[in-house]
Amino acid sequence: MEYGYYPGCSLTGSAKKLDQGVRQICNKLGHSLTEIPEWNCCGALEYGNRNELLSISGENLKKAEGLHKEIVVPCPACYKNLKDADSDKSFNILNPLELLNNENLSKIKQINNLKGQVFFPYYGCLLMRPEGSAIRNKNIMEDAISVFGGDIDGEKMKDRCCGGNQLFLNKWVTEKLSNLILTKSKGTIVVFCPFCHMAMKTFAEGRKVIYLTDLLLYVMGEKKSL
Amino acid sequence: MQTTDHIMELAGHRREDFSVCMGCKVCASVCTVNDIDIDMNPQEFLFKVFMGEEIKADNPLVRYCTSCYRCTSACPWQIRIPEVVRAVKESLGMEARFEKAFKKSLNIWGRVYEPFVVMMSAPDLLKGGYMKYLPKWMEYAGFHFPHKVKRLSTSNTLKGSSSSKEGRS
Repeated sequence: MEYGYYPGCSLTGSAKKLDQGVRQICNKLGHSLTEIPEWNCCGALEYGNRNELLSISGENLKKAEGLHKEIVVPCPACYKNLKDADSDKSFNILNPLELLNNENLSKIKQINNLKGQVFFPYYGCLLMRPEGSAIRNKNIMEDAISVFGGDIDGEKMKDRCCGGNQLFLNKWVTEKLSNLILTKSKGTIVVFCPFCHMAMKTFAEGRKVIYLTDLLLYVMGEKKSL
Repeated sequence: MQTTDHIMELAGHRREDFSVCMGCKVCASVCTVNDIDIDMNPQEFLFKVFMGEEIKADNPLVRYCTSCYRCTSACPWQIRIPEVVRAVKESLGMEARFEKAFKKSLNIWGRVYEPFVVMMSAPDLLKGGYMKYLPKWMEYAGFHFPHKVKRLSTSNTLKGSSSSKEGRS
C-alpha cells in the first residue's frame, strides 16, 4: 500500500530514530511512504489561536491534495493537529500504530524472542485523547509486545502525562510527572512520542527507553536496536 | 484583551460549547496539575472565563497545563479546556523563550529547526540546571542543515504568526 508521509520536525532531528524505524518497518511490511512535498511544521501545542494553528497544520493537507488520501503521521502532536485540520475528513490520517494489526503483526518473521523481558508500553496523551483524534486500538503496543513473547507492566500509567511539553518551561513539572509514571511501572519503557521519549530518558535512571519501532526491529532480527 | 468572546474566538469555541458545562468537576478529578501537588479545578477556570473574570498569568492552569486532555476525555461534553487555557495564555501575551524561538523558527524556515530553538533558549537552559542532562541528551543531537519550506502561493499561513508580539514569560 502507498501512503503519503508527514514526518514532522522532531523526526528530522531529535527523533530521527523514530523516523528511520517507521520507514524500515513500513518497508518490511510492504508499504511505501512518500513525503508530502515541502511539508511545514504542524504548530504543535504552541498556538493559542486555534484558527491560526489549524491553518498552519492545514497547509500540509493542501500540499497533499491530489497526491495522497492516506497520510502516515508518526508524531502524536502532528497526528492530532493534522486530524483536527482535516475537518471534512477528506484524508485518512493514520499513525503508524494504526498500520499494525494482528494481520500485519503475523506477517512479521520473528527472529528474536522477547521472552523473559518486561516492557512498559507508554502511550502518553495525544495518541489516547481527545477521543476524536485518538488511535483506534489503544492496546496495540501491548498486543505487539505480547505476540512476540514479552511481558507487560505499568498498565495503569500508560496514558498518564509525562509533562514533556513543560520540559523547557518548568522542568520540575516534567520531572515530577515523569517520576510518578516511572515509579509505578517496571521494565523497558516503550514509547511512540518524541516528547515522551525525551522526558522518560531524562528522568529514568537505569532503565532503557525505546520506540516501539526499535522493539519491532529487534524482533525482526536487528539485535542492536534493543 | 481578555473578554469571554475574545477567548472563545481564539479557542475556536462557541458560547454554547461552554454553557453546557454542568459543573460536575470530573475535570478536577483527573487534571494532571493535581499531580504536581497543586489543587486544580479546571471547571472553576472555565466558569471564570465564561463570566468574563480576569485570569491572571500566575494562575496554575495557565502556568502548568500540559495539554494532556485528561479533562476533555473525562468531560461529558468533551470540552477542550487545554485549548481555552492556551487561548488565555495568548490573550495575556505569555510566551517563554522556548515558545518564542519555536514560532520564530516557523517564520524563518516553516519548520522547527532544533539547533536554532536550543540556541535561542540557551539562557533559560543554562541557568535552569539543564546542563547535567547533556550526556543523556547526546543521542538527540546531530547536525543537519535547515530546510526552508516553500509556501503555497495562495496561502498566508505562517506569515501572520504572533511571534512578533511582546510577551511575558
